Amino acid sequence: MAYLHDQMAATGKVKRSKDLPQGVERLKEEHRKVVKDCRSQIEHWNKVEKDYESLQERLRTLPDKLSYDIMVPFGPLAFMPGKLVHTNELTVLLGDNWFAKCSAKQANTLVEHRKKHVKNALDDLQKVMKNFQNRADFTDDLKKLTGDTEGFLDIREEVINEEDFTKGKHRLAHKPNSKPKQEYLLELEEDKEKKEEDEERKTGLLSEEELWARLDELEREEELQDERFRLDSTDTNGEDTTSSSEEEKEAESGSGVQVNGHQKENGWVPSSITSQMNGTNGSHPEDEEVEDCDEEAGNGLPTIYFSHTAEFKKVRINTGKNTTLKFSERNEQKAQAKRKKKSGKRNGHSHEGYKITSPADIYRVFVDLVNGEPIPRKSILKSRSRENSVCSDTSESSTADFEERRAAFGRSWSHDDATHSDTSDGFTGEESPTGTSPRTNGRFEAFTGTVIEKDPLSCSIPHLTIAPPALPTIPERKLEEVGPEALQEPPKRMSKFKATRLHQT
Amino acid sequence: MAEAIQKKLQSELEKYQQLQKDVSKSMSARQKLEAQLTENNIVKEELGLLDSQNTVYKLIGPVLVKQDLDEAKATVSKRLEYINGEIQRYETLLKEMERKSEQHREVLSSLQQEYQRAQGQAVGKV
Repeated sequence: MAYLHDQMAATGKVKRSKDLPQGVERLKEEHRKVVKDCRSQIEHWNKVEKDYESLQERLRTLPDKLSYDIMVPFGPLAFMPGKLVHTNELTVLLGDNWFAKCSAKQANTLVEHRKKHVKNALDDLQKVMKNFQNRADFTDDLKKLTGDTEGFLDIREEVINEEDFTKGKHRLAHKPNSKPKQEYLLELEEDKEKKEEDEERKTGLLSEEELWARLDELEREEELQDERFRLDSTDTNGEDTTSSSEEEKEAESGSGVQVNGHQKENGWVPSSITSQMNGTNGSHPEDEEVEDCDEEAGNGLPTIYFSHTAEFKKVRINTGKNTTLKFSERNEQKAQAKRKKKSGKRNGHSHEGYKITSPADIYRVFVDLVNGEPIPRKSILKSRSRENSVCSDTSESSTADFEERRAAFGRSWSHDDATHSDTSDGFTGEESPTGTSPRTNGRFEAFTGTVIEKDPLSCSIPHLTIAPPALPTIPERKLEEVGPEALQEPPKRMSKFKATRLHQT
Repeated sequence: MAEAIQKKLQSELEKYQQLQKDVSKSMSARQKLEAQLTENNIVKEELGLLDSQNTVYKLIGPVLVKQDLDEAKATVSKRLEYINGEIQRYETLLKEMERKSEQHREVLSSLQQEYQRAQGQAVGKV
């Protein structure tokens, strides 16, 4: 059997090296052969087992009588009447020319023992057969996948206006502003890192961008998975946390990449720049909800082009720590929104024109309402969310940036958030209040609560120091909090976007 | 030139084929040994199920020779060990043969290339 296996494997490998269709055919053939062999062997062993069972039956009844009248075979062609005596004395072949005299019952035990072996062999064969059957099926699928396109749907997320995406990123955006920013950093001279980062940024812009794009991609995938997960499962919390944690990781990695870029821009950068940064960092989904669009079907396979939705439904109740699904979502949403805006394709101005389709939209709106400058709010929120969530790199600003912003603007909010988070039972982190706010707004769908948990310490320290002063309306604040990512990112990243939006609104 | 290479190729090919045959022979012998191994294992187990009251016989030619149960057990164990040793031996032999066949394969391929080159040249010349 093992030998067969190896043979199969070897032939299989050889096959694969050949042309795909031929190879696949041959592979299938070999698979089928093995499967057939297995089947025949299974049949054989089944017969053996049946024989043993009938033998056992005979052994049971044999000692009933002292002697039996039988027709004794006499040579190959004749029988003669005779008697079967000593019915309990049996000479059993043990194998390899060994015999043993034993009673019927002892023989029964031996037979049982042999049957066990047969069963083992049968099980092994079944396993092998199943294994090879799966392999054969897989090769079939492979053939279909590569050849035919029936039944296979390629789901892709089209990234139209990649430039927009990259533009949104702080790196590109910063280029034009890089000088002033650098100056800024130089002036500060507080963080030598900034300078270094600036330089790094310039040189490593491309690489960062690539990484950024890659991270965004990953985030999007994660979010997609999470969305599906959430949609499917009833246990949102559990899933959310897992998905959010996944996103966090992604965000973390993304943030790690972006940190350089972000740091360059520290919070001191004027709002426009920061918005750019945020935009670039958070070049993630805007509040727009992306629709599945079947666009350019470039492949042979029917392709479903899926664009990431920046729904806030992903807001989760933070059962664990650092769930940043929202964050990445927001980034994507922002990115998409920006892209859409620029491309003018998909939703058009949906999100920009106060088309609130997701909690993020609301936050965006509120942000505008509350402050003249939504950016700082966003950043603050982001920073908070980021603090809690490792990945939270949706907003450009790094944690330092956020903190600054927060200190400057969002302290009250953060504090409020912190308090909220403290008070709320199930919620940890700032996101929770924000999560509730969207609900209260009634505009959002059922919230599958992803609460981005930020380190209470990190945020609380600056925040707690400030007594809850007059804060913007709670819903607003919550909204802000909820959409820290969305808010933070879009403002930073898309200053233009914001500008247009503001103009529009 | 091409002919010489061709002759060399042929001889190498033959050697390789011979090697392959040896490999397959050793393979089959090893398989037989494996079957015997399993059988002896079963015999050993079944001997364990018996008690000394049963008489054990060994078939030697057309004769059933009475054996002691313990003796039988010892004999079977020894046979098992012998079989295992044989299997090991065959294993090493097989590996060795595999290695040699691999070498031959390489030689063959290089010779083939040479031959083709020579052929090409001959054609070109012609």
